[in-house]
Amino acid sequence: MNRNKWLLSAAILAFALLPLGLGTYHQHILIVSLFYVMMAASWNLLAGYTGQVSFGHAAFAGIGAYASGILATKAGFNPWLGVMAGTMLATAFGFLVGLLCLKMGGIYLSLTTLAFSSILHIVINNEYEITRGTMGLQVPGLVAEYSKISYFYIFLVATLLVLGVIYRMVHANMGLNFRAVQNDERAAASLGVNVVRVRVMAFTVSSAMAGLAGALYGHYLLLVTPQIPSLDQQFLVLSMTVIGGLGSFVGPIIGAISLEILSEYIRAYGEYHVLFFGLVALTVARFAPKGLVGIYQSARERRMQAVAKTSPAVNR
Amino acid sequence: MKKCRMLICLMLATVGTVLLLGPALAADTIKVGVVGPRTGGAAATGKAFEEGIQLATEYVNAKGGVLGKKLEVVFEDTAGAPDKAASGFERLVTRDKVVMVLGESHSSAALAEIEVANRLKVPFVVVEAWADPITAKNYKYVFRAGPSNSGVVNESIAKWVAHEGFKKAYIVAENTDWGIGIADLCKAALDTIGVEYGFLMTERTSQDLYTELNKIKAFNPDVVLAFVYGTGLHYLVAQAGEVGLTPKAAVLDGAGPPSLWPDFWTNVGDYGDGATFVSSMHEKVELTELAAQFRESYVKAFGKSPTDYKSRSMFDAVLIAADAINRAGSTDADILVDALEKTELLVTRGTARFGTTKGGPEYHHWMPPMLIIQWQNKEQVVLYPPDAATGKLKR
Amino acid sequence: MLALAITNGLVIGMIYALTALGVSLVVGIMNVVNFAHGEFYILAGYFSYIFAHTMGFDPFAAMFIAVCAVFLFGVLVEYTIIRPTYGDELYSLILTFILSIVLQNAYLLIFGPYPNKPPNWVSGATNVFGLFYYGNQRLAALAAGVAVIVLFFAMLKMTWFGRMIRATSQDREMAELNGINTKRLNMLSFGLGCALAGAAGVILAPVFPVTPTAGVPLALTAFVCVVLGGMGSMRGCIVGGLILGLVENLGAAYVSTGYKHVFMFIILILVLLVRPSGLFGRSEA
Repeated sequence: MNRNKWLLSAAILAFALLPLGLGTYHQHILIVSLFYVMMAASWNLLAGYTGQVSFGHAAFAGIGAYASGILATKAGFNPWLGVMAGTMLATAFGFLVGLLCLKMGGIYLSLTTLAFSSILHIVINNEYEITRGTMGLQVPGLVAEYSKISYFYIFLVATLLVLGVIYRMVHANMGLNFRAVQNDERAAASLGVNVVRVRVMAFTVSSAMAGLAGALYGHYLLLVTPQIPSLDQQFLVLSMTVIGGLGSFVGPIIGAISLEILSEYIRAYGEYHVLFFGLVALTVARFAPKGLVGIYQSARERRMQAVAKTSPAVNR
Repeated sequence: MKKCRMLICLMLATVGTVLLLGPALAADTIKVGVVGPRTGGAAATGKAFEEGIQLATEYVNAKGGVLGKKLEVVFEDTAGAPDKAASGFERLVTRDKVVMVLGESHSSAALAEIEVANRLKVPFVVVEAWADPITAKNYKYVFRAGPSNSGVVNESIAKWVAHEGFKKAYIVAENTDWGIGIADLCKAALDTIGVEYGFLMTERTSQDLYTELNKIKAFNPDVVLAFVYGTGLHYLVAQAGEVGLTPKAAVLDGAGPPSLWPDFWTNVGDYGDGATFVSSMHEKVELTELAAQFRESYVKAFGKSPTDYKSRSMFDAVLIAADAINRAGSTDADILVDALEKTELLVTRGTARFGTTKGGPEYHHWMPPMLIIQWQNKEQVVLYPPDAATGKLKR
Repeated sequence: MLALAITNGLVIGMIYALTALGVSLVVGIMNVVNFAHGEFYILAGYFSYIFAHTMGFDPFAAMFIAVCAVFLFGVLVEYTIIRPTYGDELYSLILTFILSIVLQNAYLLIFGPYPNKPPNWVSGATNVFGLFYYGNQRLAALAAGVAVIVLFFAMLKMTWFGRMIRATSQDREMAELNGINTKRLNMLSFGLGCALAGAAGVILAPVFPVTPTAGVPLALTAFVCVVLGGMGSMRGCIVGGLILGLVENLGAAYVSTGYKHVFMFIILILVLLVRPSGLFGRSEA
């Protein structure tokens, strides 16, 4: 275990040093990747661990981004306070939406979150005076002097925080409850797990994380637009999680980083790139529902079995 | 254990791939970037831009290119989204090393891009994004070779409304930055000329407008000023005919291209006759010789006549860029800005010349002349300005 | 104004109901929410445009072929994509969500960004009771839509296939015990659901020309309709559609045109608060 901790710290340190030798273009890719890691990991907390597919995750990021941006521009809040307020508002909305539809489970949650995200979209477009509509709200940065490096570290710290919380949640007692809720609601309920409470909890925490990610992202782009809470964004987050591996801890991290980098490559194909992206996601989701992590694991198991067969004396 | 190893592999893989994404190799071309929507709801504009780019690069390179090298255009998709636009712009500059950027048709995207242009100090010539603040911000590196909202409203639409002697007008705007922004300017302009008006906003994805149109009909306007883009305009024109709003009231398409799209007539049927629209291009009236040349090479290259005038706007922009680079004799941003400010170039829409008075949206802005055209028996008849008019408004 | 808002509300409501019917059928039988429903609708519009406009078929023959083609495509999708997801409603939701994005972008590539419109059946407008003018094509679409809905309900009530559908959507295990080949039934009903989307598509394309992304708002309305009426209830779906159409048009007429699509979501949330299983849903869970 100790060795693992060392390795993990070394890996994080290596990642933290990575942008120092890179140009601004590559630094930008890394920052955006970290944003998607937060989004995908927190969506996975909900979809992968409690089996609730929310289509409003991008909308919660939008709430965080808009709340923080509006407070900073209209009320003169310090952007950091704005980020906190945005995260809190996303948490509150997450709690309310969660209460509204979690009792009904499954598809109801998916469709209600979809409706929620549509309402948000229309409100943002119509309340032009406050949100600047499709034009986007120009917001101040988090640091006085715009520099990619400082944003990278801000995003890295936030990402580690989000990942840490998720890790604790799914590996603590509560994680067991989570899985139980996903696998068999009735059985979980009979074991004394309060199904609704676990779900509302997961939904609220995951919305809060999306709100945090969205608020930071808005202050990084210096512009908050309806693109942040859009269905396209939701599609990206979903694909990243599914391709990486739904319901595994590292899956969304792998998915988010590799797909963000991949999308930089295929961008060159202009109008084909979204189609290509979609086809990859569809193929993986259909033929390897556990994603890249699943592929890796089954390959490993097969190899283990092969080893076990060739040397029957070794007892695994 | 397993997770740790995966994490480490993952990080190493990230380092590797990020490094692989190295900058493109320098070639013996001079690169100019173009930003515009190639996907998403306004992909039609991206198509028009592409056509304009193709014709313009052929034209420029046939005349010897720029600074003795070939001109190469890199077209970056923005999907019409400001955040994608901003990062796309940055990518063009940092990865593709373009010396100048042209394009954009979404004001929202352009407003995000001008911030990047200013930060990275790269000259940016906006082509078809109309919002006033784009040039009103008076950024040193930002130019506009195309219409602005206030230009279109004050120079064309309001003057036309007064010219025709309309008493009552109705403004319909989609809930986008362009729709709402131009509608506000329109209200102010109508107030000034003393025309009574009503206003309503439509939801961008609305297909059914019967209720809205009947509201308008109850107001009994002489003219409907519609700031609705794309298919939405087709719905509006067709349904206005069905509910009997037209031909009593004239409908003006405040953007233009949707009224010229190849499927305008299939979508609106006979109700398209009598529809009016704003355009910088007319099928017969050519303002310059280059415009006739453009039409000729367009037909040769694509086997159809040009409809979306945005292809020609892009053509002009590439010519302006090539001219500025040649006159600057360098690709240095500040020298390029200097050269752009001194532009005096005959392009398809007249002589391009950027304004230099600071303070308003006129700064670094060239407003090409816009025409107001009516479809009469599927022929384009110019109604305004009077010196270019080929006919009178028919109802 | 009121008369028009109500009439238009009913017409648009009937259109919503027609689009939602396919979703409702597939939910009822397979417990699958087909997120790509709107894209099947659009596909039918494109097909009927190609057959009628480009290949010069008779418009009605073109419509028929288009619906058949969409049915076959639906069966193919069921066979290749949906089949392994049975019993996991969220997995199928994710797959069809990705499918819908893939199809939208494929349409953009194949058919281009411009709207496509098959020829009108009739032209002009009629003055209804001396109150307002109403487009003839819309009236024709209304008639065709009602005919499809009536035919569908008749099939459900009177044919052996319809009985099989009703039995399966009520109790899947019981139906299997009684010898219904649910695998084949799933395939057929998914195809039928897509064909219903297709029927809506060919009927509506002359009124609302199709573009690659025009299916998204339509599918969204269909989902709201289905939840409002109660998952899997065909009757609820029709009532839900009519309510949505009315609410939207009365809202646009008297409250706000910019917020017309928000009204239906508000209704949805109210219904979920008061009666979570929808208007006609079975209150289990």
